[in-house]
Amino acid sequence: MATRKKPAASGKKTPSTSTEIPKGRRAVIIGGVRTPFVRAFSEFMLLDTIALAGVATKALLEKTQVPRSELDGIVWGGVILPTLSPNIAREVALDLKLPASVEGYTVTRACASGLQAITDAVSAIERGDADVLIAGGSDSTSNAAVALPNKAVHALAPLAFGKAKGMQDYLGVLSQLMPITDILPAMPKIAERTTGEVMGESAEKMARRNGVTRQEQDALAARSHRLAAAAVASGRFETEVIPVETSKGWVHADTIIRGDTSEEKLAKLRPVFAKDGTVTAGNATPLTDGASCILLMSEEKAEALGFTGLAAFRSWSYVGVDPTDQLLIGPAIAMPRALERAGLELNDVDLVDIHEAFAAQVLSVTKAMESKAFSEERLGRSTAVGTIDDAKFNVHGGSIAIGHPFGATGARIVTTLANELAMSDKETAVLGICAAGGLGAAAVLERV
Amino acid sequence: MSDLLLDNEQARKLIKTLGLPLPVPERLRRAKGPYEERPLEGKVVLVGGHSALRDTLAASLAKMGAEPVVVGDEDDAKPFRRAGEAWGRPVRVVAPGEAPEDVRVDAMVYDGTGVRGPDELKGLYEFFTPYMRKLNKGGRCVVIGRPAALAGTHAESAAAAGLEGFTRSLGKEVGANGSTANSVFVEKGAEGRLDATLRFLLSPRSAFVTCQPFNISKDAKGDEAPTTQPLEGKIVLLTGAARGIGESTARIMAAEGAHVVCLDLPRDDEPLSKVARSIGGSVLLADITDPDAPELICKELKERFGGVDIVVHNAGITRDKLLANMKPQLWDMAVDVNLGAVIRITEKMVSNGVLNDGGRVICLSSVSGIAGNRGQTNYSASKAGIVGFVQSLAPQLAARGVTVNAIAPGFIETRLTSAMPVGIREGARRLSALGQGGHPEDVGQAITFLSTPGAVGITGSVLRVCGGALVGA
Repeated sequence: MATRKKPAASGKKTPSTSTEIPKGRRAVIIGGVRTPFVRAFSEFMLLDTIALAGVATKALLEKTQVPRSELDGIVWGGVILPTLSPNIAREVALDLKLPASVEGYTVTRACASGLQAITDAVSAIERGDADVLIAGGSDSTSNAAVALPNKAVHALAPLAFGKAKGMQDYLGVLSQLMPITDILPAMPKIAERTTGEVMGESAEKMARRNGVTRQEQDALAARSHRLAAAAVASGRFETEVIPVETSKGWVHADTIIRGDTSEEKLAKLRPVFAKDGTVTAGNATPLTDGASCILLMSEEKAEALGFTGLAAFRSWSYVGVDPTDQLLIGPAIAMPRALERAGLELNDVDLVDIHEAFAAQVLSVTKAMESKAFSEERLGRSTAVGTIDDAKFNVHGGSIAIGHPFGATGARIVTTLANELAMSDKETAVLGICAAGGLGAAAVLERV
Repeated sequence: MSDLLLDNEQARKLIKTLGLPLPVPERLRRAKGPYEERPLEGKVVLVGGHSALRDTLAASLAKMGAEPVVVGDEDDAKPFRRAGEAWGRPVRVVAPGEAPEDVRVDAMVYDGTGVRGPDELKGLYEFFTPYMRKLNKGGRCVVIGRPAALAGTHAESAAAAGLEGFTRSLGKEVGANGSTANSVFVEKGAEGRLDATLRFLLSPRSAFVTCQPFNISKDAKGDEAPTTQPLEGKIVLLTGAARGIGESTARIMAAEGAHVVCLDLPRDDEPLSKVARSIGGSVLLADITDPDAPELICKELKERFGGVDIVVHNAGITRDKLLANMKPQLWDMAVDVNLGAVIRITEKMVSNGVLNDGGRVICLSSVSGIAGNRGQTNYSASKAGIVGFVQSLAPQLAARGVTVNAIAPGFIETRLTSAMPVGIREGARRLSALGQGGHPEDVGQAITFLSTPGAVGITGSVLRVCGGALVGA
């Protein structure tokens, strides 16, 4: 019988990964951009995920002025992948007429897909596999394929492939298409494949189990909007958000952020997932269309080409939890793990960015990290991970206000943190993302 | 095999509508699929009593996914709050006495380890009484105490034994709702072994086990207790695996990760192979009463698997006749298959080292063997003999981490019982706490439980899987 190793107990500081990387091979973030994030089925309805990815990548190339001939490849992350051309990265390279040598591949890890694309690219550079890579992600919920049920597809196949001969064959096909409800296209929804639970129900369950109140959730949502609106007003987001042209004109800025919302206004919304529940449209992230990406280079290449890096990755961690338990608690385990690998405690870092899928989920994660019992039982630590200083947390708002085009959130957060580290005198940042399937992701960034 | 009062919905409705004085038994909820990490997901468990096991119970229940309702004060709730925080399980605290309107519970666990005398038995009354009408169908009651034999005073010993009597009667009262009540006596220092037993008793895996005492000791060595896939990597020898209880057991054990070597008579090659094939097990054709059988079985297990971890002596026969009419060969057959062969095979495995350390020996006894039954003098002699055998062997193997136990099934719906005369069959079914017969899988679940590493605290015992049958002790 194979013996399984328990995860290393905390307390022991592991050396940061950056010290193990050969000199000059460390991957640094040169810059990042994103499209405005807009509500699904609105401004970007006619732009599918490949189109959005193309717009973002093109803008990144223009902004950074990296010679196209230096680009080795594109790594992309997405959740709703186009069925017939799922390799968005390569499609973008071809659409933008980049040199044929710019290779591309696409990864999927639910809402952590964007971060996965980035850490994949970082690995490739630090391993010496590439020097210059673009990594990002996008999703267009507006263009999710609405599929016919397989029953209908299987029944219609003889007609579609021309094998039906007489009337009898046609009648036979028709008879298989009853009852009609079995063959109607099903609306896609964000439900767990294994449990059937809609993600909002999972958030609702987590709120109840961790004692997160409606008021706390609405307060977090209002805070998210307030800070994001401030970032827009101050022009802070202009360093990251690029204008996008649509058939109806230009979209210059995020459209979901509501600077005029308040806890009182949010308190009036009705719960969506349970009758006496606490999760509302206001304290959850909306379905969003958008794309984001960053440019990564090895330090030696950056120097050779005359680029200055903003930030680099010190560590990261991906974890899985039981989706039938607390689906979105993963970051409470991934963030401490990534911090441990970086040789840091939560209190040491200057910035914390947690993807806000639901206010209930963020608050469940922060409560868990504040709990000594959680840390002892689930992380093997003797002390609580810690309390996040409000001044360090999601300083320009989060996904509730800005929106969450699944694959685009990773590069959105990384870009904002990298800029924030470079612009201020701050040293380190940690980010956490929850994802469907009980996945959790986290990474630690440091200023270059 | 069909039970009108259970399987026929119209009959059930008619009896209820007409108000006929027939107790309609509650359909038992049984486990689907293998052991789960959180068998009590979202179930409300009422906890009360003394404080000795509070930390153990809090951790166990939280990890099982239960939502505890603690009878007592904030101080009593502290360990539950801590575990609840770690595993995201909100805790509710209720004052002793009257139960709040909005509370319904799926299980009740009473820690009676601190009961020092007859007066303190009243704690049982005070804990259970307000919630007797608040226990959901298919509920679970567990009373935990210290072993009476190890008590310090006569009064303590008497009180400990009193817990068992109370629980047996409680089981009879909640049985009509498909609920069970069992007592667990845990030796000091063996508290860490409580978790596996609680997982079994509080889950649907023990649906047909009620009114039984469980003794948890530190006798046998072993501290591993995986909660899921508990039999991963284990080699099982299971006799009588071709059908009935044997087949069901083979399937359950295989689903928990075991490799099951299915043994049965050569003439049952076809059904046996079918079972073995469908669970990825192996076939071993042998007549266990054959004088060469112990040697042959040991050789096979040693050569093919390097030994055996779990031995389940399930093969058994009845050769019923009134003693006055019994032919000698009927006597011999029953006693040899049910008892003689069991002893010969087990002793051989022990003496030549085929039975691995940390192993499990499980022998099938029978409630009718314990209670006695007209026409079954031979059968009862053999099945009661099993009890003596496990009690004698268990202490001898404890140091090696091997446990030896007997399972005594009551009325189980099988080919055998469906051939019984209607009157006797109905009597056997209904004269029990749960008012119905068990299924082969109920016995299979109990065998599997005793086979798990977590059940290391239970040895030399007889576990009845009888639905709380009125007969027997």
